[in-house]
Amino acid sequence: MSKLTKLSRRHFIRVSVMAGGGLLVACGGGSSSSKNNNTSTPPTDNGGEPTNPAEAFQVGEFMRISTDNKITILVGAAEIGQGALTAIPMIVAEELDADWSQVSSESSPVAARFNNPYFANLLQFTVASSATRGYFEGQRSVGAAVRQMLVNAAAKRWEVPASSLRTESSYVIDDIGGRRASYGELSSEAAQERVPTNPSLKNPANYRIIGSSPQRLDAADKTDGSFQYGIDVDIPNMLTAVIARPPRFNGQALNVDDNAALAVPGVRGVYTILGGVAVVADDFWAAEKGRKALQVQWNELLAGRTDSDTQRNAYNLRLNLPGLPIRIDGLVLTAQLFASETVSADYYFPFMAHAAMEPLNVVVDYDGSSAEIWTGTQSATLDKVFAGLVLGLLPDQINFHVMPSGGGFGRRGNPLADYVRDACAVAKQIRQPVKVIWTREDDMKGGYYRPAAAVRVSASIDSANNITAWTHRSVTQDVTALLYAENLLDSLADFTLPPLKELTDFETGMPYKIDNVLMDAHLTVNLNMPALWMRSVNKFSDVFAQETFIDELALKVNKNPYNFRRDLLSEKPRHRAVLDAVADAANWGFPASGRSQGIAVMGHWNSFVAQVVEVSVSANRELTVHRVVSAVDCGTAVNPDLVIAQVESAVIFALSSILFGEILLEDGVVQQSNFDDYPVLRMYQTPAIETIIVNSGNPVGGVGELGVPCVGPALANAIFGAIGERIRELPLTRSNFKIA
Amino acid sequence: MFTIRVNGIAHTVDVSEDKPLLWVLRENLKLTGSKYGCGQALCGACTVHIDGQPTRSCVMPISAVGDKQVRTIEDIGNEHIGGLVQATWQELNVPQCGYCQSGQIMAATALLKDNSSPSDQDIDKALSGNICRCGTYPRIRKAIHKIATEQL
Ligand code: FES
Ligand code: FES
Repeated sequence: MSKLTKLSRRHFIRVSVMAGGGLLVACGGGSSSSKNNNTSTPPTDNGGEPTNPAEAFQVGEFMRISTDNKITILVGAAEIGQGALTAIPMIVAEELDADWSQVSSESSPVAARFNNPYFANLLQFTVASSATRGYFEGQRSVGAAVRQMLVNAAAKRWEVPASSLRTESSYVIDDIGGRRASYGELSSEAAQERVPTNPSLKNPANYRIIGSSPQRLDAADKTDGSFQYGIDVDIPNMLTAVIARPPRFNGQALNVDDNAALAVPGVRGVYTILGGVAVVADDFWAAEKGRKALQVQWNELLAGRTDSDTQRNAYNLRLNLPGLPIRIDGLVLTAQLFASETVSADYYFPFMAHAAMEPLNVVVDYDGSSAEIWTGTQSATLDKVFAGLVLGLLPDQINFHVMPSGGGFGRRGNPLADYVRDACAVAKQIRQPVKVIWTREDDMKGGYYRPAAAVRVSASIDSANNITAWTHRSVTQDVTALLYAENLLDSLADFTLPPLKELTDFETGMPYKIDNVLMDAHLTVNLNMPALWMRSVNKFSDVFAQETFIDELALKVNKNPYNFRRDLLSEKPRHRAVLDAVADAANWGFPASGRSQGIAVMGHWNSFVAQVVEVSVSANRELTVHRVVSAVDCGTAVNPDLVIAQVESAVIFALSSILFGEILLEDGVVQQSNFDDYPVLRMYQTPAIETIIVNSGNPVGGVGELGVPCVGPALANAIFGAIGERIRELPLTRSNFKIA
Repeated sequence: MFTIRVNGIAHTVDVSEDKPLLWVLRENLKLTGSKYGCGQALCGACTVHIDGQPTRSCVMPISAVGDKQVRTIEDIGNEHIGGLVQATWQELNVPQCGYCQSGQIMAATALLKDNSSPSDQDIDKALSGNICRCGTYPRIRKAIHKIATEQL
């Protein structure tokens, strides 16, 4: 017996009794545009169940409450280190009034009911700092509805009005009657209750779980080696493959001499696929030795020839031409005409690699009529769609396991599913379980970098030292172009994509009170240069330019950079609040002796951040980053300790990019290969990091990327304070700093 | 055929002599807690203890192990200090993605066994070979100090 209600047009939940007792909560909804499930039988009239066959088919498990009072919550967002497997269950548990110590979580299957509401319920897609803010309201509704059903069941059992009961820590409590019943005990009866359509939600003032910082649910397994990542998946008869890829992007294998490779003990076969030549072997080491023995001649007629230096010159030229308007306030040209002075600066940012700690890998078990796939991904829905295209299978013939990832940073959120397609192409040929492993070198050279960018900002100042006009122009690669250019959308048939272009996120959110603003951008298309979003996307470069240039203007008009910003933020209370908080916490204006401070502020994904970086620079340009203080307002911090951890993570991630991050291409060939020539921050280079949360009580904002963009400009502003030199390009190693 | 002693148990494996210990652990012995991160002794994700010394198993051929004692993350909790490190890591929510943490924990345990009150410089020296892309370094440092001051 099951009951069902529609929470909204597209979402409903259904609650039923589990075999052996307990309560099973199922959610339906999601992509009504995905017609991939119309092979399922249409539902019969079952009392309010949606008539759309796709939705009916997608009904499935969402949460289990078992009779022993244990609660398991399935999470649709990918766990990439940010704590999705902890934060999202906290939201459900809050409204459910659950005993948090009895809650556990698992990654959900890939199904429309787990799609991220932030992407119009069309995708499971964990990018754009969207996990917590995307799922927040929906998770609350589910928790609240089930809580109400448990209360109603208890009311029936005890024959008292539901309104006389309360809930606490997975118990329904009757204070007047002096009795209580656990959710587990009530679960079977609760499943018979009508699902409330509009369950009442808690007043945030009464939150017990949201706003607390319980330990991560995955902490124990992540300290004893038992936590399973994609690279740890092991199934019977599994082979291991590595893929020899062309030295230049989109090169094609022309002649393959595999004699020596096949002679390596353990090598089972060599297969040419679209992306390269796969060497399949009994184990990783044999595959790797086989690949070294492989002789491949590549057809590079149509291959990419991107050259970092050439591209930089081209981008700099483009800075002189108007681009696509992004934001127009007032009349910039007029303001410039009447200005007493207009100043400008150009900036340049190179390609960068995500370099997540776990190199890419995929396990595919394909038998000709069905497939099972395991991989760490931020883009499960599209991965599954592409896997189906490559393997010639329908979505319901694929069982796709989203594995937690050893880092993502955007690289595992490729809407083109590059690494899943490659692995499926190998599996299709061998029809035996196979794990495709990318070595670190493969990962570093394999493309999909943060695209290089050139930025020009200018400001006009009138005779009273007011900024009257601001322009911002960026030139960078459209990271979604490939998706549209490959005509993939045609092959995706009825699949509707949310507007992914928005994720390139060009509006810098320039917050200052300046009447005339013109922002434009050149989005270049280069199908032979795979580029992709990387943690904080264009904010990394755009905010660097914006926040270093505003600092220059402050000094130009003889103002303290903090006060100058503060004055220009008179209409932006949340920016101002974090700016004040960070100035206070960092003791702005009073750095430790021999050190210099820099500051920066911004808003991103409905959150706000201000950061102060403290540095010293020795006479021989040895740069030491001593301290980074951040103040963040993410509206509502679901788990403040996870928020702080994300900011710490972002600061260190940003420092790696700012100090060292650079992928160089020479005539199409990537020059970096591993952590020796692509260094990242290490323990001894890590500054003291302090983070404070400014709780504004606003709706949940994004956190994962928030701490990245301001670190660079604050650091560059501190360097200016130390040695009077402006930083116009990254990484800093380019300006001959030695990193202490 | 090689016989190696891992976590107190002798295992005989039939692999080529140049196969790195890391892949023998992961593939042959199914001890997947030790991770592959770079394969070049640059990141520390594969760190195990060999006769108590933190060692990069990705560049150690199986033939070089001999009869030395190999200890991995799966067993380090059975050592007093290893257990303290794991418990403190959990208490301070050190892991994020967690992928580097086996290596971090092996390195931290080796440090604390050697030095019961490490300075910041000692921590820098012992842990700077272990990369964490999630940036858990401040918490690792804090956890090591906490263990040293409260429990050793
Ligand atoms: S995998 Fe051994 S040091 Fe990186
Ligand atoms: S916790 Fe993710 S790499 Fe260290």
